[in-house]
Amino acid sequence: MDWFTAFCDKFKFVFVENDRYKLILQGLGNTLEITFFAALIGIAIGVVIASIRSTYDKNIEIMRKRKGFGFIFLTILDLIARIYLTVIRGTPTVVQLLIAYFIIFESATNGVPIAIFAFGINSGAYVAEILRGGIMSISNGQFEASRSLGFNYLQTMRYVIVPQVFKNVLPALCNEFIVLIKETSVAGYVGVHDLTKAGDLIRGRTFEAMFPLIGVACIYLVLVVILTSLVGKLERRLRTNER
Amino acid sequence: MNDNISDKIISVKGLKKYYKGETIKALDDVDIDINKGEVVVIIGPSGSGKSTLLRSLNLLEIPTEGSIIVDGVDITDSKIDINKYRQKMGMVFQHFNLFPNMNILKNMTIAPVKLLGMSVKDAEDKAMELLRRVNLADRASGYPSQLSGGQKQRIAIVRALCMNPEIMLFDEPTSALDPEMVGEVLDVMKELARQGMTMVVVTHEMGFAREVADRVVFMDQGKVIEAGTAEDIFDYPKSERLVSFLNKVL
Repeated sequence: MDWFTAFCDKFKFVFVENDRYKLILQGLGNTLEITFFAALIGIAIGVVIASIRSTYDKNIEIMRKRKGFGFIFLTILDLIARIYLTVIRGTPTVVQLLIAYFIIFESATNGVPIAIFAFGINSGAYVAEILRGGIMSISNGQFEASRSLGFNYLQTMRYVIVPQVFKNVLPALCNEFIVLIKETSVAGYVGVHDLTKAGDLIRGRTFEAMFPLIGVACIYLVLVVILTSLVGKLERRLRTNER
Repeated sequence: MNDNISDKIISVKGLKKYYKGETIKALDDVDIDINKGEVVVIIGPSGSGKSTLLRSLNLLEIPTEGSIIVDGVDITDSKIDINKYRQKMGMVFQHFNLFPNMNILKNMTIAPVKLLGMSVKDAEDKAMELLRRVNLADRASGYPSQLSGGQKQRIAIVRALCMNPEIMLFDEPTSALDPEMVGEVLDVMKELARQGMTMVVVTHEMGFAREVADRVVFMDQGKVIEAGTAEDIFDYPKSERLVSFLNKVL
């Protein structure tokens, strides 16, 4: 049992001595905080952008014919949405984070809100496209049936389309938030003490690489597994009625 | 089916629908009147524009030119609220288009509850009564995926009826069905016609057209080629194109 005692000693040295586990806990807290609020921002932005883009796609033919203010307004909104999607999806997350920290919020000292901001804006683009894909995947017949009953476009979205979309996009959304959890590991670039940074700090202080890094990896893994199983449960609940 | 076929419900004038500039003419100057209580069956080869015409009647297709007068109002006018007019026009689709996430009762009651302000109980009572008429009352709490094609289409018909429409539009309602299920759907439609419902039906069921239609309209290449009673069209066709069409389908 020599190796076991050696393992325990190492573990104690790396995580327990000097209360180094507190570094991990603090990092975990920051990682969770950033992920949670970034996800909220991402969903909010995603819903708005997806609404604009799909409203444009579904109605522009009619609006073009009827012209007027609505047509111009929607065209401009759609253009803004497209530019946002192109820029955010076309540049690396780390670069966006650095721009947010060193250019947009130049005088900031606390990196956490800036990381939330940057990851939220970033995630919004991906969530938007997931939701738009979900809306577009609903057959046109559903729109037509709802419109032929007399529902207007917004009522059609609310009563008929969105309830179906939510169910369909859940796996893709879950995937996006898994990516988000792990992507926050670059927050250390702007001085945020997140989980990854905590592991790296301990590595520097103890000159032990394996324990802190594998430990941190395990914590990410557990987070993702928990998230996946929660979403899986939700999916099963939503699916009970159908098919 | 109804003696009182004098007042027009829908009057279509000079209707044109072009795609890609003017290269594809789905509808090429169509005039047609639909009278109250009348059953009009539109026949023609595929691509003749019959579905486009039907879908134009409630503006699921936006016509390029022309007017569609419903109750004295031109619904192609951008200032009118098309949703109000669609409430009065029930529509049945080839692919049923039931809402898969709602049970049958919800499928039928959501529109009258949300749009007509009917109470849930009244709407459900009405829905159940309609379901009994099509012998599907036992399916009220089931979901569309549990039904056969014929059952889905019968539900789609009564779903439209829940809105108390003045006119029913049928877009090839039996084309996606197994042959053995066509009859049950046509029976419901015949029953509806017998009760005096105004109907416009696009179909390939010539037997149905002959039996039920007050007027048969033959279309080809976006134009109305010939229109008349079922007898006129099937027994005494005038145009060459109608003759050759009938030779192929009968």
